[in-house]
Amino acid sequence: MPVVLQESVEANGGAPSKRGATIRPSLISIIPLLPFMMIFGFFFLYPIAALIYVSFLSNENTFTISNYVTAFSKPYNEGFWNSVKLGLLSAMVGAIPGAISAYFLEIKGSVKVRRVIAALNGVLANTGGVPLAFMFTAAFGIQGFITVFLKFIGIDLYANQFSLATFSGVLLVYTYFQLPLMIIVFSPAITALRREWREAANNLGASTRKYWQYVALPILFPSFLASFLLLFASGFSAYATVNALTVGNFPLTPLQIGGLLDGNVSATQVHLGKALGVVMIVISALAVVPYLLIQRRVARWTS
Amino acid sequence: MDLMIKIKSQMPVVIVLFSLGLFFLLPMGSAFEYSIRNGLEGGYSFKNYLWAIREEEFFYYAFRSFWLSSVTVVVTLVVLVPLLTWLHVTKSRAQGWIDGFSLLPLVIPVVAFAVGAQLALPDFVKNTVLELPFLYFILSLPYAYRALDIGLRAIPLKTLVEAARSSGANWRRTITVVIVPITRMAVLATVALTFALSLGEYTLTVLLHWDTFPTWVTFVAQENLLGAIAISMMTLIIPFLLLAAISLLAPSNKNER
Repeated sequence: MPVVLQESVEANGGAPSKRGATIRPSLISIIPLLPFMMIFGFFFLYPIAALIYVSFLSNENTFTISNYVTAFSKPYNEGFWNSVKLGLLSAMVGAIPGAISAYFLEIKGSVKVRRVIAALNGVLANTGGVPLAFMFTAAFGIQGFITVFLKFIGIDLYANQFSLATFSGVLLVYTYFQLPLMIIVFSPAITALRREWREAANNLGASTRKYWQYVALPILFPSFLASFLLLFASGFSAYATVNALTVGNFPLTPLQIGGLLDGNVSATQVHLGKALGVVMIVISALAVVPYLLIQRRVARWTS
Repeated sequence: MDLMIKIKSQMPVVIVLFSLGLFFLLPMGSAFEYSIRNGLEGGYSFKNYLWAIREEEFFYYAFRSFWLSSVTVVVTLVVLVPLLTWLHVTKSRAQGWIDGFSLLPLVIPVVAFAVGAQLALPDFVKNTVLELPFLYFILSLPYAYRALDIGLRAIPLKTLVEAARSSGANWRRTITVVIVPITRMAVLATVALTFALSLGEYTLTVLLHWDTFPTWVTFVAQENLLGAIAISMMTLIIPFLLLAAISLLAPSNKNER
């Protein structure tokens, strides 16, 4: 009833009330947008803009690119190289087994199995970080069950000075959130594979190999690439696990930034950490932006 | 014969589950075994777990993380539900922009975000722990926004809003009594996502020098490593069991095979 009443008033009203009707909704209608824009602007856009701006300032607050010159020289260039390498390797180690597991779980697994695996993946991929580091300290420590067991079957982990605080140690631990993450982000692509496509291919005389070669793999490849890029970004910028595992003394960019921010490491340039942060954003964007574009493309034609 | 076919078709799943199980559960089981060792006397007991929960700070930080995460969930829902409802109902041109904005936090590594926040936020914000829920809101935005968006897309939103409004409900009532109950699965997913992310957040928290449950665990490790391992096992196993129980009990979705 009130709606009808309102309409009749507006219909009968003259010029002034018509003006009121157009201004009022536009003012009111922007209200739901305001809290979001205020929080997003103040807590996100403003800090990032300030970060980029300050990264170009010298100690005397004049314009300089010297922060970036230092960022690309020793030991910080090693940090970038290690971080990129760790991101790529951990993404590779997680992506392939993750994709295969996702395929069989989605196609053949029962609802219950998939739900339990989803719960496990959720915990490991999202809240993993620090607990994972301690879990591994226990499992692969000198007296850990795995170490003792491997020794029993003839593999002495500690013969070659094994430590979790090395590149391969960190890589091993990263697999434990990369593989679950792969299963989470790649499963929707498997679900989008229609059974009809396989039947159609078979009816047209395609063998299983041909189906994979000409139908399934070309459909899955963009999603696989996208997932790989996301895994790279997550491995590249991870901080929690490696910080807890190595007490911060490992040449990775996130740890170097953390050290500069804490003041544990002193640099002659006050704003060096900001330049390192900006370079991290650029590298991360090179992976995440294509990921988002591919995801959008895939979503458009699978739905 | 049927049984044989069934076994054969289930073989890949069994192999996948077995390898995943070996890969995930072996270190977890190994760490658990380590955490219940009795030290020099030998044998097993839960003394490390008892030590952990007898620490006064255990409950102090657990409670702190809990309420900070709850505030994050409230902020997320209060901001995003009206925003998305409005975007969908008015089909505003702003939607493309807001969609893009919501994904931006994915691009920025948390460490870089922490440096920016430390640098830019004024002291009156940095001096209160209440800055954390707003920063956690930003971190969970890409996931929370998408989860709610999918839920709202699946319902005839415009019709429902028009019906509620013409029955005399104001906007607040329309959202709390009509939209939230109808999209409750999406809202629940958003709550779970945001809550889990805030509860486990470590990087931003520690770089901004705040103490919450996850940062306290790394502090504990310096004096009692076994205690820290016991706490870590609890933070991995308890959420997993809870989530698994909830997802097994949840009614099965029509879209699921």
